[in-house]
Amino acid sequence: MEIELLSFGKIAEFITIKKLSIDGISDTDGLKKYLEDKFPQLSEIKYKLAVDKQIIQKNRIITDQATVAIMPPFSGG
Amino acid sequence: MDTERYNRQLILKGFGEEAQQKLSKAKVLVIGAGGLGCPALQYLVASGVGKIGLVDGDVVSLSNLHRQLLFTTVDIGKLKVDIAAQRLNAINPNIKLETYSQFITQENALEIFSEYDFIIDGTDNFESRYLINDGCALLKKPLIFAAVSGYEGQLAVFNIESSGGEKTNYRDLFPIQPNKGEIPNCAENGILGVLPGIIGTMMAAEAIKLITGIGEPLINKILNYNLLNQQFYEIAITSSPSGTYKLPENENEFLKMNYSLKSTPNQVLEIDIKELENLQKKDSTLIIDVRETYEVPVLNPLDYKQIPMSVFQSFLNQDIEEENIVLLCQHGIRSLAAAEFLHEKYGDKKNIYSLKGGVIRWKNYFTSAS
Repeated sequence: MEIELLSFGKIAEFITIKKLSIDGISDTDGLKKYLEDKFPQLSEIKYKLAVDKQIIQKNRIITDQATVAIMPPFSGG
Repeated sequence: MDTERYNRQLILKGFGEEAQQKLSKAKVLVIGAGGLGCPALQYLVASGVGKIGLVDGDVVSLSNLHRQLLFTTVDIGKLKVDIAAQRLNAINPNIKLETYSQFITQENALEIFSEYDFIIDGTDNFESRYLINDGCALLKKPLIFAAVSGYEGQLAVFNIESSGGEKTNYRDLFPIQPNKGEIPNCAENGILGVLPGIIGTMMAAEAIKLITGIGEPLINKILNYNLLNQQFYEIAITSSPSGTYKLPENENEFLKMNYSLKSTPNQVLEIDIKELENLQKKDSTLIIDVRETYEVPVLNPLDYKQIPMSVFQSFLNQDIEEENIVLLCQHGIRSLAAAEFLHEKYGDKKNIYSLKGGVIRWKNYFTSAS
């Protein structure tokens, strides 16, 4: 299946792809692991996933064509 | 009421005299008179909010002026709260302004917060942001949160129960405070001046909506804004599963929280350029530049080994042979964090240093040497 990726802040500097084929991955836990393997820098910072504009607080099924946002905290003011 | 002054919003459909009355009775605290705080203050004061508090212990500096438009060049070196109070008073003398020429701390936060109905967080560091979040959660104060990075901003309203009974705070997004150096700040990463102008103005808009009851404030939502493509992306926030984080439940617990991630001074030594020069002459010295590859000035890779902060964690798995390790970066903030990581690994087995003020402070040395 294919998902759309939306990266914010510092994460957008190393995750520049906008679409991702994730055959064999069906949920957010699986996606996290996949992303952290593919982009090791992601495992070094805090971030939150949102699927179709809903924040992910526990493992959730991902469906084809879902939009997954990857958001780091910002501190600047 | 000063009907002439507020005429254009008094005649506004859905606003009117009732909303103006609510504004005049409201008490709003703005923490930080920086890129976010300045525009928020200007609009809140102009709109007729009854009482406004301003907390900031800093003085105006030259690098503030491209985004903090309450201040001018002649104000450099003066206390931000003093200058801000003068300007804001000139904009609207009817507003009761209270200034606190100090930074927000665990010791002063609860007492100051308790005087206000709404808290606006315009600070620039995680230490203050987590402290403010927890203090507001403890006192059940509505918190208008915003933060910026590069060309992007985040905006949210916390601690207000939705019609469905859900109430969230910043820790529902990011339960644990990031480590020092994990996320770059404005001084390290840069910021386009107009960006906090936009986001800070949106903070004022959220405050006005909450006070007057108009529209739909960003309750349990975080709005992501990207200036480069003018995209807005709203994400709904739900509470974390219980046990994900712990908020202080009373003043005593709040005072005991550890927000300061500073190291004790004897762990990592901060050095100046003279000491760096001396260490450079020694045989067993490794100098590491933790800046990202795009940062300038570029240093000679033979003298300065480049290991960007973004890949530093994987570098930690390797063993360093040299006895003396000096870390440096643009301003000396990330290098301090990197030095702490190395200190955690090697303890006192190696001498670990961080160049205070970074490449920028000693620019002449680095540009002539490389």
